Amino acid sequence: MPPGLDNLKHIVVLMMENRSFDHMLGALKAQDPRIDGITDGLSNPDTTGALIKPQPLAEFQSQLDPDPDHHFPGTDLQIFGGDTSPNRVANMQGFIKSYYQQQKDVNHSHKILYYFPPDKLPVLTTLATEFAVFNRWFSSIPGPTICNRAFAHYGTSFGQVSMDIFYVKELYKSIYERMIAANPAHTAKIYYFDQASSTMEVVNLLQHQPQLFGTYDQFLADCKSGTLPDYCFVEPNYNDHDGDTGELIASDQHPDHNVQQGEVFIASVYKAIKSNPTLWQNTALLIVYDEHGGIYDHVPPPACPPDGFVAQPNDTGTGMPFNFDRLGVRVPAILVSPWVPQGTVVDGRIFEHSSIPATVTKFFLGDYDQRSPREKAADTFLDLLSLSTMRTDAPDFDV
Amino acid sequence: MALIHVPRPPKSAANQDRPVSDLLKMQILHLHEVEKKFPPRMHSGIYINDIKTEGQAAGYIRYVTAILHPHGARMKVVRKKKAAPGHVKEIAAAASKKKTKKKSAVKKSSRGSKRK
Repeated sequence: MPPGLDNLKHIVVLMMENRSFDHMLGALKAQDPRIDGITDGLSNPDTTGALIKPQPLAEFQSQLDPDPDHHFPGTDLQIFGGDTSPNRVANMQGFIKSYYQQQKDVNHSHKILYYFPPDKLPVLTTLATEFAVFNRWFSSIPGPTICNRAFAHYGTSFGQVSMDIFYVKELYKSIYERMIAANPAHTAKIYYFDQASSTMEVVNLLQHQPQLFGTYDQFLADCKSGTLPDYCFVEPNYNDHDGDTGELIASDQHPDHNVQQGEVFIASVYKAIKSNPTLWQNTALLIVYDEHGGIYDHVPPPACPPDGFVAQPNDTGTGMPFNFDRLGVRVPAILVSPWVPQGTVVDGRIFEHSSIPATVTKFFLGDYDQRSPREKAADTFLDLLSLSTMRTDAPDFDV
Repeated sequence: MALIHVPRPPKSAANQDRPVSDLLKMQILHLHEVEKKFPPRMHSGIYINDIKTEGQAAGYIRYVTAILHPHGARMKVVRKKKAAPGHVKEIAAAASKKKTKKKSAVKKSSRGSKRK
């Protein structure tokens, strides 16, 4: 076993909100051709028929307003360009068409193709180039937040493709419940930002298993004291509100929240781990986004093993059922550890949010049969901790 | 490696009057579904369809979360109130006191309904 895995005691997942890979990291292609980002040949037609190219004009705030559609029918349009025929092929040609529908403004609809130059996102792009960036990490469903986050917690959304309330089936337990029920027991926690932001995992876990939760203040304290659980999932601040020290700005990067505040938050999570030398050498941090938020990406989502559930046409809103046999749009994903070689680009492998419980289960619990077909088929990522000697050149951020 | 500077957003980035997104609306609905199971004395009295802004949403989210997860109260609040079983509503009120005095205040429905 590589020494990185021998040393590994903690897996931390930070899941941000609603940004696509090309939007956040696509510009890195110019620096490193191995990164599958923006190229000159990419375009999307607007509603006049003109072909519009992605441009490095993304702004931190006030640009993607209204919030781009990312519900199931809107995402279907974005991926298939409006083709509803039985043998259609994903072409990623419907992003401008989709955004145009919200404001009927041709020029405004082009903004859905805007992306960030690397110097505007120093935290995310530094971590992507210093550690491991995934070329093929997709959201689990071509749809919105709640069902995609469910895949990170349960390895399935139990048939949901929307934001509606869903209840877990006894068939599959959350990764947290699996961990604490193991023999010997492991520890696992969801850290939400604070009570005014709370969690997106309300109806099932917060209601029935509040002991699984902590706040971000507790995460910081646990990092400092070396008492972080074996596995933990960190949620950003989902709204602007007053805190003890003044007004707190949402850090989830969900449009139209400020992207810079999300950068500060990502750096804060990283620093909390890195500041404890023992924790740093024992921890793998995955930074990933729940879904694309309706924002352009050029890589067609691939087919995947069906999930065993079927969403009916009235639930998908497309007139067609969905067998959970295709992934959602690609999202940024970065694995941080001092045992990951600098400049790793993970290529030729497909990951989705089921890879999270799959990885945690494989590492901490070993064989575990009661998992969704999607999770059982999901690739895992800890083999990326492949160095024989721990790195000492990891970056620091002034947060 | 050199220390990397992380720019902060301007103070103007904060806007508690921003209309709630679909995500926050659904989070509120999920919390409301849980709130309906609380004993009547613990209902917020907030008519969730009146929640229009992020500041208002935060006040409601804080109230319900404080009851579901009182351990999530900031430590100084817990110490001050000496949290104990049965006192969760007081903790929730303490946690949301600052908020409800300001922008997040959503009055009880004039119809007295506590449900959507």
